[in-house]
Amino acid sequence: MEGMGIPDRGASPLVRDSGSGDDRADLESLLAHVARGDQAAFEVVYDRMAGPVFGLICKVVRDPAQSEEVAQEVLLEVWRSASRFDPSRGSATTWIMMIAHRRAVDRVRSATAETLRNERSAAAAMPAVPDEVAETVETNLDRERVRRCLDALTDTQRESITLAYYGGYTYREVSGLLNVALGTIKTRIRDGLIRMRDCMGVTW
Amino acid sequence: MKLLSHDLHTLSGAYAVDALDPAEREKFERHMNRCQECSHEVRGLQATATGLAMSAAQVPPPELKRRVLTAAARTRQLPPVSEHRAVVQRRRPQWMPRLAVAVGAAGMAVVIALGITLARTQNELDSARAQQHALAAVLNSPGATMLSARTTLGGSATIVVSRQLREVIFTSEGLPALPGKKVYQLWLMAPHHIVSAGLLPQPANGRMPPVLASGLLAGDKIGVTVEPAGGTAQPTTSPIVVIPTAS
Repeated sequence: MEGMGIPDRGASPLVRDSGSGDDRADLESLLAHVARGDQAAFEVVYDRMAGPVFGLICKVVRDPAQSEEVAQEVLLEVWRSASRFDPSRGSATTWIMMIAHRRAVDRVRSATAETLRNERSAAAAMPAVPDEVAETVETNLDRERVRRCLDALTDTQRESITLAYYGGYTYREVSGLLNVALGTIKTRIRDGLIRMRDCMGVTW
Repeated sequence: MKLLSHDLHTLSGAYAVDALDPAEREKFERHMNRCQECSHEVRGLQATATGLAMSAAQVPPPELKRRVLTAAARTRQLPPVSEHRAVVQRRRPQWMPRLAVAVGAAGMAVVIALGITLARTQNELDSARAQQHALAAVLNSPGATMLSARTTLGGSATIVVSRQLREVIFTSEGLPALPGKKVYQLWLMAPHHIVSAGLLPQPANGRMPPVLASGLLAGDKIGVTVEPAGGTAQPTTSPIVVIPTAS
């Protein structure tokens, strides 16, 4: 990494969309290096993002072996399509985590994953538990902030968002699971996210 | 179901957490392209969802790193999207007829198009188009040859080999979806040396999007095995198909 002038901070930043923090600039410029085929830069991106990518996929997919497989696909996709990252549409962290979430969701929605579905609804309702996480002061604070903002939602908003996001259910499926009208679920997810956005101080 | 513009707008939250089915997602994306307010809101909500994502972080398995870095070193990167669009527009009329001459009416064009039809979002579509471009380069390269073989699990595997680019396109038709956590893994097989060319996508309804593998050497055979989730460093089962790249 010498000569690139990009420090490896180790710990993963949370959401930096709201500010022009150093972490954000780092990951973005790293991606620009990756887009030009810089494997050393990709290794730094890996060290920074593999934990969040793997953790999110585990949360949605549940099965560790399948999660690992999806995580590998996602991280390779980051390498392949780094040139497609458009900083005007969101932070690098958001771009990577969106790829991870979509792939995870695609996996659980595919027919072969049918057996996993029964286990998902119960698991999704649980708050994010840092089972085996490398805890740092920074990630603890970030995690705490997200949890606080999640707790600030109404029970029904929180339930709808966690089922959709961590459970990988469509809002139609959430509506069926909770036996609540489709329009109501749609509104709960949107209102809940807006409330979280304001609580977390995300401005984009 | 008919959705009014207002209804569409309130799907921003469900869209941001990937909770729309494919048809609605497409409809919302079309709407968002015309609605600046919506796309602004969606970006804020996607950044919010990133908070939920990051708070689930876990230490990844240690061996994942080597696998990802090794795979990356073997994987061709996509060109930037703007350049690529212009190129595809220009090239498409040229390579389609040439493809027909080079590889015959074996349905390869259908296979290439499949990558596009499987794409559901703009990102996937961009990615599929870029892949199509990379595939077209192989198909267009002088002396590209196509070979097919039956697999022991039924269905057929087809490769298009470009010795000039040292690349091979692999696709299959009629392969069964694998039970449990098994995956199909693609191999470049030299007489005394076998290297992984990556995991194949799970077939959906017997169809599999085409995969591009690089680093082909003269005399390599292309093989596929069934392996445990995540793949293996070397094959652990007998190949279900082996296709020589040289005749």
